[in-house]
Amino acid sequence: MEWMPWGVPGRFRLRPLTAYWPDAVFILCLAGLFYGLAGFEEQITAHFRPAFEIDLSPLALPKYALFSLARGLAAYAISLIFTLLYGYWAAKDERAGSILVPLLDVLQSIPVLGFMPGVVLALIALFPRSNIGLELASIIMIFTGQAWNMTFGFYHSLRSLPPEQREAAAVFRFNWWQKLRWVELPSAASGLVWNSMMSMAGGWFFLMVSEAFMLGERDYRLPGLGSYMSVAVDKGNYPAMAWAFLAMIAIIVALDQLLWRPLTVWVRRYRLEESGGETDTDSSWFLEWLTKLKVLKAAELGLHHLMMRPTKQPAHPLTPPVRGKIERWLLSSLRWALFAAVIGVLLYAAAQLAGLVAELGVAEWKAVWYSTFLTFLRVFVVLLAATLWTLPVGILIGRSPAALKILRPVVQIAASFPAPMLFPVMVALFIWLHLSLGWGSILLMLLGSQWYILFNVIGAAAAVPADLKEATVSFRLSGWRQFTALYVPAVFPALVTGWVTAAGGAWNASIVAEKVSYNGQPLATDGIGALISQSAERGDFHTLAASIMVMAAVVVLLNRVLWGRLSGLAQERYSLGK
Amino acid sequence: MNVGNNGKILCAAAGISHEFAKPEGNRLKVLDNINLQIRSGEVVALLGPSGCGKSTILRILAGLIKPTAGDVFTHGEKLAGLNKGAAIVFQGFALYPWMTVTENVEVVLKSTGYPFGEIGDRVRETVKMVGLSGFEDAYPRELSGGMKQRVGIARAIAVKPELLFMDEPFSQVDALTAESLRAEVLDIWEMAGANPQSILMVSHDIKEVVYMADRIVVLGAHPGRIRTVMENPLSRPRDYRSPEFQRLVERLHDIISGHEMPDVAVEPVMPPNFIEPLPNCSASEIVGLLEYLDARGGIADVFQISVDTRREFGQIITIVKGAEMLDMVDTPKRMVTLTAVGKQFTKASPEDRKNVWRGQMLQLNLFRTIKELIDKHPEQAISKELVQEIIVMHMPFENYEPLFDNLIRWARYGNLFSYDETSETLSPP
Repeated sequence: MEWMPWGVPGRFRLRPLTAYWPDAVFILCLAGLFYGLAGFEEQITAHFRPAFEIDLSPLALPKYALFSLARGLAAYAISLIFTLLYGYWAAKDERAGSILVPLLDVLQSIPVLGFMPGVVLALIALFPRSNIGLELASIIMIFTGQAWNMTFGFYHSLRSLPPEQREAAAVFRFNWWQKLRWVELPSAASGLVWNSMMSMAGGWFFLMVSEAFMLGERDYRLPGLGSYMSVAVDKGNYPAMAWAFLAMIAIIVALDQLLWRPLTVWVRRYRLEESGGETDTDSSWFLEWLTKLKVLKAAELGLHHLMMRPTKQPAHPLTPPVRGKIERWLLSSLRWALFAAVIGVLLYAAAQLAGLVAELGVAEWKAVWYSTFLTFLRVFVVLLAATLWTLPVGILIGRSPAALKILRPVVQIAASFPAPMLFPVMVALFIWLHLSLGWGSILLMLLGSQWYILFNVIGAAAAVPADLKEATVSFRLSGWRQFTALYVPAVFPALVTGWVTAAGGAWNASIVAEKVSYNGQPLATDGIGALISQSAERGDFHTLAASIMVMAAVVVLLNRVLWGRLSGLAQERYSLGK
Repeated sequence: MNVGNNGKILCAAAGISHEFAKPEGNRLKVLDNINLQIRSGEVVALLGPSGCGKSTILRILAGLIKPTAGDVFTHGEKLAGLNKGAAIVFQGFALYPWMTVTENVEVVLKSTGYPFGEIGDRVRETVKMVGLSGFEDAYPRELSGGMKQRVGIARAIAVKPELLFMDEPFSQVDALTAESLRAEVLDIWEMAGANPQSILMVSHDIKEVVYMADRIVVLGAHPGRIRTVMENPLSRPRDYRSPEFQRLVERLHDIISGHEMPDVAVEPVMPPNFIEPLPNCSASEIVGLLEYLDARGGIADVFQISVDTRREFGQIITIVKGAEMLDMVDTPKRMVTLTAVGKQFTKASPEDRKNVWRGQMLQLNLFRTIKELIDKHPEQAISKELVQEIIVMHMPFENYEPLFDNLIRWARYGNLFSYDETSETLSPP
């Protein structure tokens, strides 16, 4: 195959110029996007301005939304790089993996506020004169909401490559780089895109916290959608809240239609045939339109050739150069050095934490544990309530192809919408109903986490094999019996997955649900989430460290003991795969 | 090309044994003292039932697995790491779905360091050789199983390996296509000139190995070991219907079945404390066999059964052995016949069948021992561990996990005792 990025020359002349209008539109759109982002660049390099004065007029909103989008995408880019490096390292180096994988589990359970003080203080100290530090801090906070599940997904794809594929790569002597380009990245691509979608939603969840936060009685605010919303909430400006709400939906729908949907459809070709499934019926109008573009066709071809390009050419056929002794020594010492660095960082972090926590008295510890227990109870009530309504509804939706076609995209959007943006309205409602925040926060947490369960149940109910459905119908099982005999067991593994994700989401949501503000007045109830956000605001790093530590420990413990066992049971007993 | 045994030794296994570590910690021996030589210019086949470790031997010779004991030699030198002279055709194809046919072949030429300027020509040449012309730009998902395996073959021979390894290459290809592919592979091998010089293939299909191989290595299972090596003197091209071909197929049968199915005369003499291992087959498979025999006048050729039921030969033998242990069939030579009990069973009602089955099971020491245990402690649940311990104590060489599963499957069919999977306990029915 010849390398002809611009297509066969002869064909060019035969097409009328009007055939290129999609290309023109596309290039204009790209130019517009770059122009918009140029404004972001100005904001970054401007003078240090910790609390940006937010303009609540709707006309200012598009610019703020664009800023937030830019931060989200920048964070995503960092997440992607982090995922590739960390996931690859953990999968390939057994010794490092034995530390890196559990570490990922811990990182995943640390809420964004746990990272905030360190990140913000360090970066502001690093760039005292410009906004770069604060912007970077915000981006990194969004990153901490995105990265972990992508990394887990990539790690699992690398580890679960079919044995014959692994052997073929060995027999035909692919070096690590060839194996990565030709086998591992393509086979991981599909999972990576799906996880990216989830991650992006995770990043939006704390957008308000990431753009506008208090640290040690000091206000930080960056121009963006999240700040716009928090200012609107503080001022009790309901129209502005509605505008922010709409802008967020616009961002999510646009990303879904213009980025994720086309990507999920496009990435289907990079799937090992064994691992079918997912939503094969999906299509993307935008992708269909994009495939008409000559510019992109050339880019895709170029990318493909770049992927296939030979790397280094060994000296002699069938005898690739044996890796030199020095090279091997360098590689192994690099591995040890990196491993030692990780251990070093962990030890340092542990020492710092121990130092912070050591000064706490018995009463404070008691408060931390009591708060954790309260939130623990809330999380379980949330799961119970969410299951009660999502299980039947999810099965009903998944069972009917018509409902599925319309409602699945809606649920997907609802699941990616950051629930905290809805909290102010809910809080106003609670006050009107005289409902205490202790109970109300359960509803808020529910709002943030029920979608994961619903989404998983719908997917599993839609995937119940046709012959099982026909069997239940032909044996004339009543509606109720159909549910208990077929659908509930069939969706159980997905339900467990949903519970795990929802529980994680609920713990995280407690931070913004147990302490809210209403018309500028803070409103809080007892709970570990409230304790974390209050201590961050007060700059009480001792309590903050202890709370984060206890919460992360409880979450990790629950993951290992409860959810791990349940999903083992689900796989063994109720899996339809066998 | 067929130079018999005079070619030089390309690759050899010397005293290879292999064990897998099981997750519970104990080790399972899969290969025992394998000695094997592959000379230039021959086709060698490893023939055996599933679980005899034939694919493991192939992977050890390719350098993908390091054996627990013994060495592999290539050209007289001890092999460390990959066997650079070998290329593998995989059972499941192992193609890259995101690459076209051309690219699938191209990448292995690139990775193995084929002279860069000649890659294009070599790809075209091999793609043509395996009959894929016109499909150069097709993606694997657009191809049938047979066509996919052609890509697998093209990819392997493209790098001009001196040894072509084929791991059950046609088992996922439909029967007619497999037949033509066998002939084509031999044509390619004979015409290829220098490389591949020799072929090592793994198969469980007797006709396939008689058609293709010069030397047939018959393996036994648990642990995998070489039972006998048979030379195949037939000249190529071979004809499946020729009497010589048929004779060779039958001889291989007799070798396999003669060992796997000892005649009844040796069976009854057992030491008092002897507990028989159960063959790895389910009750429904045994019932299926009995129904099959009943429908054919109570007698059938074991090879015919395998053909008719489209089952792997080794599995059929296992099922026959299971039925024989229950005294439901006899196995004079290659024939399988229904016994009086077997006839009674097939004529009985579903409920009576269970009674016959239970009665026959209780003739076996294993079931009797466990039944007595359960009856002795009616109020106490018998744990899975306890039963597994009994198995391990009496049959230390058997793999107790599958044996236990089988025991439960047989016992459930005969309603001998019930087993609760959640609490992992056995109790009276």
